[in-house]
Amino acid sequence: MRPVIRTRFGRRAVPREVEDELAFHLEMRARQLMESGLTHEAAIEEARRRFGDVGEVRDTCVTYDEERLRSMNRLSIFHDIRQDLVYAGRMLRRAPAVSLVVILTLALGIGANTAIFSLVNAVLLKKLDVNAPDELVVVGDPARVGGMGFDSNPRADLNSYTTYRALADQARGWVSGLAATGRVDRLELRADGARGEAERPRGRMVSGNYFEVLGVRPFLGRTFNAAEDDVVGGAPVVVISHGYWQRRFAGDSSIVGREVLINEARYTIVGVTPPSFMGEIVGQSLDVWIPLGMQAVLLPNQPILDDTQAYWLLFIGRRLPGVSLEQARSAFTDAVRGTLAAQATTSALVDQARTVEVRVSSGARGLSRVRNTYRAPLLILMAGVGLLLLIICANVANILMARAVARTREMSVRLAIGAGRGRLIRQLLTESLLLAALGSAAGLVVSGWMSRFLLVLAADGGTVLPLDTGVGVAALGFTSALGLVAVVAFGLMPALRASRVEVATAMRASGKGLTGSGMGERNPLGRLLIASQVALSVILIAGATLLVRSLQHLQHVDTGIARDRLLVVDLDANARGYSETRLTTLASQLQVRLAQVPEVAAVSFTENGIFIGTESATNVAVPGYEPRQQSDSISFYDQVGPGFVNGTGARLIHGRDFTEADREGTARVVLLNESFSTHYFGNESPVGRTIRVGDSAYVEIVGVVADVKDQSLVGPARRRFYVSYLQHPLGSASIVRMIVRTQGDPVRVIPTVRHVITTVDADLPIRSVAPLSRLMRQSISEERLLATLATVFGIAALLLAAIGLYGVMSYAVSRRAGEIGLRVALGAQRGAVIRMVLRDALLLVGIGIVAGIPLTLGASRIIRSQLHGVGPADPVAFVVALGVLALGAVTAALVPAVRASRVAPVVALRAE
Amino acid sequence: MLSPESGLVRGTLDVLILKAVSWGPRHGYAVAEWIRVVTDDQLLVEEGPLYTALHRLERRGLLAAEWGYSDNNRKARYYQLSRAGRSYLRAEVSGWERYVQAVTKALTAVSPNPA
Repeated sequence: MRPVIRTRFGRRAVPREVEDELAFHLEMRARQLMESGLTHEAAIEEARRRFGDVGEVRDTCVTYDEERLRSMNRLSIFHDIRQDLVYAGRMLRRAPAVSLVVILTLALGIGANTAIFSLVNAVLLKKLDVNAPDELVVVGDPARVGGMGFDSNPRADLNSYTTYRALADQARGWVSGLAATGRVDRLELRADGARGEAERPRGRMVSGNYFEVLGVRPFLGRTFNAAEDDVVGGAPVVVISHGYWQRRFAGDSSIVGREVLINEARYTIVGVTPPSFMGEIVGQSLDVWIPLGMQAVLLPNQPILDDTQAYWLLFIGRRLPGVSLEQARSAFTDAVRGTLAAQATTSALVDQARTVEVRVSSGARGLSRVRNTYRAPLLILMAGVGLLLLIICANVANILMARAVARTREMSVRLAIGAGRGRLIRQLLTESLLLAALGSAAGLVVSGWMSRFLLVLAADGGTVLPLDTGVGVAALGFTSALGLVAVVAFGLMPALRASRVEVATAMRASGKGLTGSGMGERNPLGRLLIASQVALSVILIAGATLLVRSLQHLQHVDTGIARDRLLVVDLDANARGYSETRLTTLASQLQVRLAQVPEVAAVSFTENGIFIGTESATNVAVPGYEPRQQSDSISFYDQVGPGFVNGTGARLIHGRDFTEADREGTARVVLLNESFSTHYFGNESPVGRTIRVGDSAYVEIVGVVADVKDQSLVGPARRRFYVSYLQHPLGSASIVRMIVRTQGDPVRVIPTVRHVITTVDADLPIRSVAPLSRLMRQSISEERLLATLATVFGIAALLLAAIGLYGVMSYAVSRRAGEIGLRVALGAQRGAVIRMVLRDALLLVGIGIVAGIPLTLGASRIIRSQLHGVGPADPVAFVVALGVLALGAVTAALVPAVRASRVAPVVALRAE
Repeated sequence: MLSPESGLVRGTLDVLILKAVSWGPRHGYAVAEWIRVVTDDQLLVEEGPLYTALHRLERRGLLAAEWGYSDNNRKARYYQLSRAGRSYLRAEVSGWERYVQAVTKALTAVSPNPA
């Protein structure tokens, strides 16, 4: 058999080939029949008869052949891909250091992005795992979840239980149900009888319809029924979370119906929530839910259900079909204002109620205290890591470009022996894809560590937020998308460039001219990438410097008190039943006893404490002062004990401190802070004048204190006045916090302080004894986190830019070795050669910096909200950023420059 | 003469084709002629189904085909055994031999009770 050179290919040829084959057979058969004596026509007839249905056979054969070709094509694609991958793997192994650098930097970039994104997702994006979360609507400020306030003025950031009762039915017009949820701390649960070990589960008090409104079905047992918050004190039932059930009760299947003691009263566990339900609060996993009606049983010392001035609940409703968020908002606003107005006791309060700001927002993403705090930092970090990834892509593109150029000859050889351009591009893209895949995989691992690390860093020694940052579908998708974008960004350019090689010129070009072209023309894309990298680095480094300077400002800001010599003692006197006179007596006793400790310089006490987190505000009226806006007649205040100014180390500007004499039955007095005094009285001393605080208390000003940063280091001090704890013109305080000023390091006095407190009341629960410096530090943990991470990103950007610059300059020097050798041979000084290379490098950096400055000015405007005491165009930050970059650039360029200057003329000439 | 429609023959056709090309490449007509001659016309192989069988075996990867010139210088499609086809044929032949032995033993038995 002699083979035939095939001329027809592919599927279209199949029917023709089958016809040819069958025709050959029929012809052969007919010829044989003719040899045995048949006529031509009869032979053809007989051959067809013996064959059967020619058309049917042909169709069947064609089908078989087409199937065969199809699977062959599939196989050959797999084969090609496999070949590409094997080849790509070989190429990566051939330059292991370069591959490793690429994979590691990609892992860093993708890992950092995924880590930050998983935080952004957990805090800002993820929706509640309940039925149709988008229908949910929240009444009140979701950031105030966990808050509680007593206020004689109507407000609506949180709501009272009385408002809930009034509103629940009314709201049926636009929501299918309205649930309420409020904080409850101080839960003590005993699962094994009264003598068993007590523990402190995290819980919420919720209305009976809470689970029904959210659409959470029980995992075991039942949830509450709507009647269970109607009966005050009559529904001792509790629903526990799946996590708590597993953790505390080891998943006991007979848990439903079991009795537990909570705050010494009996409750029955009626159900367990499904594992996916983490509660309504982002960044907090809950253990137990208790009906609102049990509030007075849970906290018998603080019954607040009937108190119209106790603001502590958020409402969650599910919008009826066809009701938009906007419609729900206006309906709720009217209803809440109406309810508050009906509860108001004076006409001034009615007016306030009618204009109070009612916050109504989507409940799809749950309630969160951390969301608002972390929104800006997280978005800034997201932008930062995004920039970092861009820089990394530019760097990787540069490395691959250099490699692609080095492989120009290989490419031209492959083109010359008949490889298609498409095939070459595919080969190069496969290499990038392999790098990206390895980088993404490594990045995913890195991101797991990083988000854990970030949470720990953010917690700053406190409890780590229980955020679900596990590698979810979202994070995984995000990583893959980044990997893909990175491939296109850094793989396509070198691929296109390399495949554009003209065979002839590439073959010829390997003999490069001695005097060559300038440095720039050889590698314009590489130089462009370096300039962009520098521009992006300017943003990151200047941004980091701004944030660090802002942090330094906060750390050294004048707080107006002895920040390094104070201890803040937080007590839970309420739990022991202290209130009114007994509470005041306790505070005075503690003050006396603590002052006897030798290391203690002075002691005082306050209701809100310092950097502990509670705040009070009320109306003020200053005779002769005409308020221009509502905020003009509102001031923050605190109730403080005798010797407060001395006890905290604050500075008295006018008048006197509070004394033991400022107690009930004597003339009511007030201390003002400087901001308050200046706002209402200008520069003159207000001592001796009388103002009204609250609705009816007239107090005489006895002193003015320099502003104290007592709740936040961020922002200017606010107007504040202090009334005497012993006089309580605004009603008795319900909390006491001791302030202890020490002579030496306050940390050393902590054990003594704790001991002294137990001698006054052995069972008084001490929430915390903390040095003020630590509380202040914790209050700026977001700022510190942001500055730390921004610095890390800035350093990474600097290093990457330096590596990139080093690579490009090394390449340029090696291309120009001949020219440089010639210059040296002709008598050029080494210094001149070094200067020449450095000049070239600095030109690139200069272009990047010039482009980077306006970009940075634009970008720093975005972080303005996070800058304290530093302007977004702070010249110091810019000088530092540019100086650091220039220094890094010179260092990176110096090595190739020195190498160039050492080129021996003979070697250079021989190299050709 | 055995009917071409019997299951026995239909299963056997594949093996006969593979056997036909086991000495070297043959075109379809040659395969048909070889079967006719070697079985003394005892097996009437219909020629159409022979071709669908050839293409089916090719799809299964037991046969490989390419175009060549026949003895009388005509273009014809030549089939030969692939490696998979050769081992398949070997397995089928030994299976067939065992089958025939067993059936023969049964049909030539002289006593109603097995020994």
